[in-house]
Amino acid sequence: MMEHRPLNIPVILGTTRKGRMSEHAARFMVGQIEKRDGVKTELIDISKLPMPVDDAGDGIKDPAFSEKMAMADALVIVSPEYNHSFPGLLKHILDSCLKEYIHKAAGIVGVSAGPFGGVRAIQDFLPVIRELGLVNIFWDVNFGNVSKVFDESGKLLDEAFVSRADKFLNELVWMAKTLRYGRDNIALDS
Amino acid sequence: MATQKKKVICPKCGDEMNHHADKLVHPVTAEDASRDANATLGGLIEETHSCPGCGAVESRRAE
Repeated sequence: MMEHRPLNIPVILGTTRKGRMSEHAARFMVGQIEKRDGVKTELIDISKLPMPVDDAGDGIKDPAFSEKMAMADALVIVSPEYNHSFPGLLKHILDSCLKEYIHKAAGIVGVSAGPFGGVRAIQDFLPVIRELGLVNIFWDVNFGNVSKVFDESGKLLDEAFVSRADKFLNELVWMAKTLRYGRDNIALDS
Repeated sequence: MATQKKKVICPKCGDEMNHHADKLVHPVTAEDASRDANATLGGLIEETHSCPGCGAVESRRAE
């Protein structure tokens, strides 16, 4: 397997809401990824992206976001749960790309003010992930009752999330390496 | 039956890219629908190619 390039696993902060607690979760995940050798990451905050709403799909593709997705090996998508689903603007921006995602790994981090840690948002998200060509792992990280998991400054209050994130990232890195090998070396029979 | 297609060359580093996926996409415009749609599959086939050298991604419409 070619290991000359570090794995690239950006973290997408999938909400634009003011005061979003998901930002703490996203920054925590960036920190956990940064601890790993051979993996690079960055935070992609969708509130900072140009996001026209007078068109959709390829018509709103942002070259910089497209390039980040093209060069990613896996995505960590941090999604709050709004009214039992994921944010519409998160889907709006993800829908702007397609080829960039195909045969790449994805893992979803759910965030909620209530106890369920975004599980309903994640369940809604899975068919979208599949149609985008991403391969979702079977680990999630669920930040339920998020106001008790982080303080206002973003400091982690519950250390159990370190080992939960570690398990999630172990699986995501394995899937990212495997899919990179496949993308680079295994041709589609046609 | 396998057919030999012209390889895609990476526009970033010049390496030969690997064709690893065919994605069925549905035509958005009437022009696309009339020109390229595969009636059997119900849409258009977009080939996805990856560069082993630098990781770049390219796609092209299947012929």
